[in-house]
Amino acid sequence: MNQPIASIIRREFRISLRLEAACEFSAVRAATLAVRDWLAEKGLPEADLGAWELALVEAANNAVKYADASARQRPVTIEISCGEREVEARITDQTAGFDWPAAVDLPDVESESGRGLFIIKSLTDQVIYLRHPDENVMVLRRARPVSGGEMFPDVGQLQTRLAEAEAALTDMTAELASSYESLVAIFRYSSELGAHTDLKDFSRRLLKDLMPLTEADCAVLRLVSSDGKKLESLLVLPGDEKSLPPPIALADAATSAEAGAAQHRQDIWFGPEEALAEKDPLRAVMPAGNGLCHAFYVANQLVGTVTLGRLLAAKPFTAAQVNLLHTFIDFLAIQIVNARLLDERTAARVTRRELQIAADIQRSLLPSKIPVCRPFEVAAACQSALQVGGDFYDLIPAGDGALLLVIADVMGKGVPAALFAAVLRSTIRSMPQLFDQPGELLATANRTLYPDLSRVDMFITAKLAHLDPRKQVIVTASAGHCPLLVWQPGAPAAEAVGQPGFPLGIEPLTRYDQTETPLPSGAVALLYTDGLTEIRNAAGEMLGEKKLLQLLAQTAGQTSDVQGGKRFLLGKLADYCGQSPLTDDQTLILIRNNL
Amino acid sequence: MHIQNPDAQTAVVTGLVELVAANAAQVRDDIRAALPATTVRLDLDLSALTFLDSSGLGTLVSLNKTLRSRNGTVRLLQPAPNVRQVLELTRLHRVFEITP
Repeated sequence: MNQPIASIIRREFRISLRLEAACEFSAVRAATLAVRDWLAEKGLPEADLGAWELALVEAANNAVKYADASARQRPVTIEISCGEREVEARITDQTAGFDWPAAVDLPDVESESGRGLFIIKSLTDQVIYLRHPDENVMVLRRARPVSGGEMFPDVGQLQTRLAEAEAALTDMTAELASSYESLVAIFRYSSELGAHTDLKDFSRRLLKDLMPLTEADCAVLRLVSSDGKKLESLLVLPGDEKSLPPPIALADAATSAEAGAAQHRQDIWFGPEEALAEKDPLRAVMPAGNGLCHAFYVANQLVGTVTLGRLLAAKPFTAAQVNLLHTFIDFLAIQIVNARLLDERTAARVTRRELQIAADIQRSLLPSKIPVCRPFEVAAACQSALQVGGDFYDLIPAGDGALLLVIADVMGKGVPAALFAAVLRSTIRSMPQLFDQPGELLATANRTLYPDLSRVDMFITAKLAHLDPRKQVIVTASAGHCPLLVWQPGAPAAEAVGQPGFPLGIEPLTRYDQTETPLPSGAVALLYTDGLTEIRNAAGEMLGEKKLLQLLAQTAGQTSDVQGGKRFLLGKLADYCGQSPLTDDQTLILIRNNL
Repeated sequence: MHIQNPDAQTAVVTGLVELVAANAAQVRDDIRAALPATTVRLDLDLSALTFLDSSGLGTLVSLNKTLRSRNGTVRLLQPAPNVRQVLELTRLHRVFEITP
């Protein structure tokens, strides 16, 4: 107090913050709040901020309290200097001021005023009140705490605050950990997007990650069926294949929360207060607690629904948990759609490749040139439909100028059918001693092929024809195959010859009858597969054997050149089909006695 | 600030946010004016009070005197730590019944 003002100001006071407030209570109160914020920026602890706020309020209020009408026109100035070890405040007013009391004590408890100076003194280390005719300055100093020097050394409160801080920290850590886990999970899922992972396994892992993060204890995942009418369950957690709930119809929105969520495109919450419908299949999985049904879409197309439930906890999901659910399920939806596209693409690629292989095999089985068998002339054709590869024909010199004609249709398609065709061809070619006994040859081939064919539930229809130029006859045997069609010169129409017989691969011991048909000069015969008679016209009518017989008669009358006849016949067949695509292979062997 | 009278003897004041020089006299007068003659217990709910200065303390002392003149009491309910510290610093915690 005895120090000259100048020395105090010059040596120790450094203005760091200067505020002017109107000389009224509310204005100086606002100024003290600004100072508090500024000191908080300087890193003062909470207890010091509270002490400074109250001390400054009391000091500034004093300035206002003693202002007369003219002094109220002049501002109160607050200057703060914040050093490393000490904070100093200077409150300057231009009022009449007051006499600093000899002792700053608390008034009587009954007193309604007189506590301000006591509070200021209690909250600061030093108070200097400098009174001047024109202005008064109150200087307040308070040391900054070096290490937790507390304003109010209340250990209990400190412990409470510490506990609060620790609890907050624990919460934040938990939240951060949860976010971190979510992020890690999401990144992991991102890395799997596009990879060909097992969908069920991926979904199970995703839901198992999601459940603890959302505090759910059960989950049901359903995917929309391929016809788009049902929701089929893919997963139930906890649980296994046996506990999968039955499919539900999408139309059953009234009795199924899952169908409802999908139909209304809105999450459906259920719990004690919004109970599931009595017939809701979810009740079997989630009889108690509460939960949430969420339907998910990709490109506006329903993909499925996921339901998370809490059997035990009463509290519903928080907004953050619902966000997490949506994020995870978005990933799942993309993965599901990716997996489906991938499957379709792979299947399409496999099929295309397989059909290519089948077609290659089939082509390799066909004879590259037609053996001579005068006076007979032979022409053959094998047109493949897109998806089929089971037809083949063979023309094998049978000794003495004779020819063995083979025509067959393996039931089935793709590589297996083509392979059996190859096996049949080799089997027949391996028995030249039987070439002139087509019935016996078929019986032997049947015994050989039966075990393999029956194992895969396949069979082959085949017809063998021994063309004998010396006798000018054709001897045929049929294993469930289309008949031989023959047109004799001068006959009014062509006719079908022979019994169909049993296909190869049906019975192990089958006898095959032989039919000998004369083929005199000018006669025409046709061996074919049912792809020929089963073609349909634009009206959807099948050609049938009768029409084919007529076509054969026309062909015979048209030309004596068997190649030309073949082209004529194929042309007629194509005319009949019109724009309709071939649904089966078309194979034929045309024979004419050109003697 | 709201003043309610749950019964003839009791008045409850809630919603005090600051009790400082700027509003201390007004709050004191408002509460006094709203007190029915029969009120012998005044509960000041301080749970919302963020700041209390010496003028505010004056209001509390004044209201306490009013009630005491009726053989009544003033209770201070749930003051925040900083408010409680001011009461303790000025030893007024010995005068009022303070309910945490």
